[in-house]
Amino acid sequence: MIEVEQYTKMYGDMMAVNGLSFTVPAGDVVGLVGPNGAGKTTTLRALAGILQPTSGRIRIGGIDLKTHPVDAKAKLAFIPDEPQLFDYLTVTEHLQFVARLYRVTDAAPRIPLLLEELELTPKKDALPPELSRGMKQKLAIACGLLHRPSAVLLDEPLTGLDPVGIRRMKETILARAREGAAVVLSSHLLHLVEELCTRILVIRKGEAVAFGTIDEIVAAHPHLAGRSLEEMFIALTGDSTSEPIPA
Amino acid sequence: MWFLYTRTAVNRWRSQIKRARNPRYLIAVLLGALYLWWALFRNTRMSGGALNGIVRTEMILPVFAAFLLIAAARWWIFGAERGTLAFAPAEVQFLFPAPVSRRALIHTKLVRTQLAILLNTVIFSVLLRGDSASAQGWRRGFALWIGFSVLALHRLGASIVRANALEHERPGQRRSVVPILVFSALLGAVAWGLISQFDAIRDASAQGFAAAGGAVVVALNQPIPSAALWPVRAVIAPVFALNFADWLSALPFAVGMLLAHYLWVIRLDASFEEAALEATQHRAERMLRGRSSQLGKTRSRKGKLVRIPRLPMFGPPAIAIAWKNVAAAMRGGAWRTQLVSFTVGLIVMAVLIRSASEDAADIFLGVVVGWGAMLVFVGPLWMRFDLRLDLPRLAILKTWPLPGKQIVAAEITAVTVLHSVTIWALMLVPVVMVIMDPSLLSSSMAVPGFVAAAIGIPLLNALMFTVQNGTALMFPAWVKLGTEARGFETMGQNLLTMGATSLVAAVALVFPVGLGLLTIFLSNKALGAWAYPLAVALGGVLLALELWPMVHWLGDMFDRTDVNDVGSTA
Repeated sequence: MIEVEQYTKMYGDMMAVNGLSFTVPAGDVVGLVGPNGAGKTTTLRALAGILQPTSGRIRIGGIDLKTHPVDAKAKLAFIPDEPQLFDYLTVTEHLQFVARLYRVTDAAPRIPLLLEELELTPKKDALPPELSRGMKQKLAIACGLLHRPSAVLLDEPLTGLDPVGIRRMKETILARAREGAAVVLSSHLLHLVEELCTRILVIRKGEAVAFGTIDEIVAAHPHLAGRSLEEMFIALTGDSTSEPIPA
Repeated sequence: MWFLYTRTAVNRWRSQIKRARNPRYLIAVLLGALYLWWALFRNTRMSGGALNGIVRTEMILPVFAAFLLIAAARWWIFGAERGTLAFAPAEVQFLFPAPVSRRALIHTKLVRTQLAILLNTVIFSVLLRGDSASAQGWRRGFALWIGFSVLALHRLGASIVRANALEHERPGQRRSVVPILVFSALLGAVAWGLISQFDAIRDASAQGFAAAGGAVVVALNQPIPSAALWPVRAVIAPVFALNFADWLSALPFAVGMLLAHYLWVIRLDASFEEAALEATQHRAERMLRGRSSQLGKTRSRKGKLVRIPRLPMFGPPAIAIAWKNVAAAMRGGAWRTQLVSFTVGLIVMAVLIRSASEDAADIFLGVVVGWGAMLVFVGPLWMRFDLRLDLPRLAILKTWPLPGKQIVAAEITAVTVLHSVTIWALMLVPVVMVIMDPSLLSSSMAVPGFVAAAIGIPLLNALMFTVQNGTALMFPAWVKLGTEARGFETMGQNLLTMGATSLVAAVALVFPVGLGLLTIFLSNKALGAWAYPLAVALGGVLLALELWPMVHWLGDMFDRTDVNDVGSTA
């Protein structure tokens, strides 16, 4: 479970995120959407323990991220939009490194299975510069999933993947949710969000403007009834300048 | 271009000034200004221009010219670091497709290089000024600028020619034949001069260093090597001119060499663009990977990967971080290759020189010891397999389930071990010499001194790397992180950086050294020379006790460091 309570982040006088509160229970997939600069990445990074909140609390699996960061981080995985890999470790060695870092005692039999799931087996001895963008993304995801996190944070996870890779990635995300992980997924691809996510958190200028299932959001904003997610997004985030594309 | 670079410079200065509002950076600016005043102005004045005195010896011109020629050979044989040619990705995106001539692109590159050259020129001008009048300072500064500019142009030209020859097969090789032949001829002529006088040099070395130096100068002043060295001497002669008349007479030739190099490089414009694009791509990949210039190709030409020790799946997680950095050093190629070839090369030289004469052997041993001492102080600037490599990935580091102090400790430990292994390997050289000639052990200090050095090296390295990593953590906006090391045009900045970090380390060593001296005083009678290893060990314990809370504090700082402070510098 991921619990965010009045999370606020300021950079000097600039308010990046203001009083954000939401909960992601185990098995839920929450889609984090918002216009550019809304605070999605700031929020994700705070959940991952990368950024210190200015105020507010974040709990991962019931563990306070600020007071017990090591224990909390052991339960979560953050997969950024741009894979951050070590140029001099092979695919397999990346997983061995992560296994040791997260004290994954049964890593030896699990690594080949994970490589197989993410179609990385043919590249298990390759170095990151020898991988395509999509392969690097898959490796980053493999590293994130090895220690069976109870909270998974994904920032634009489908960037660089081919259609088969996209399908596999969706299956991977849903499988982790079925296994009990709480997933937060940030993406501009609203059809993906609609397909994968049980609930949606819409943020604008650092504040939550809607949170819940699509039905719950419509119930709270009746004027959005009958609209597509794209139109709901545009209406909620206040960009009235763009016209809907004719069918 | 003018708009691009002036606006870039103005905005960069603005962001630096804005950063100085942070108390941490402001204090550093003030301390740095004080240090610069002491290092560059007050110190040379007090010393009476010791550095300036070196310039005045007669040996310097031919010897330094030969040294520069041999150093330049490295660019032709191994290639200069590709950063020489590379453009920033944004520059490639905007400039290369634009209606900008290749020649304009080269000029862009040259202008960029000039910024570092000018700064370096100022630093060295002040260092070499001594107590001479300001006019000579200006003359020397101008001469230094010419020298650095010629070296930069030569390096750029060598990079393009070499890239052409190796990567573009027949057409590239055809274009590269003449410059490669010319350089090879010059180098060959100097080598011939030294080899032809080898016996005389060897005999002179028995009479001491000065005599050996004189014999080398005689060898270099022979007609053929002297003619080969003329272009290099022409470039550096104004730097070493003792008066205005000498400077004025040497200047036209130096300017001529500068113009010749400039014309040579801009005529390479056809090859420049392609080579620059490749270098830019290469550097972009390295920047993404946060690689240092010490790393070469990770795979051999046959595609083989260097094997690294297997990481056990059980044990403290922090060991994984240390393992990762050792993998970087071993797989990057340069450290491992340099360690082996350097050590083997020195041992071979030790054997040969020992056979030549006893005095030469003593001098060689002194040089090796000096080199080892330099590695202790300068090595931490070069060995960057620590936070300086990983801080560009701070966002990922912060997701690891480890407290900051463990991450920092692991980063420092790995590079300390690597560098200690490097210096211990160097210590094999005197061991080999002693095996060849046990009489070298005649001094009762030899073995205890050796043991004391072996104990002290990792402790001193730990201190120096803690200072380097601490600096990177405290001032991530100022420390060059993870990318290629800069070239000779930043030598002055590196000198000042080295001085500053050595000062900080010296402060940390006050009590350990004091304890060591006390130990020697109290135990010298009982233990004799073996009091020294004991002193180093006890001083080392105290140093470790000092470093422990320092690492804890750096760990807290790591936890508090904002990723946005680091991201803009990577």
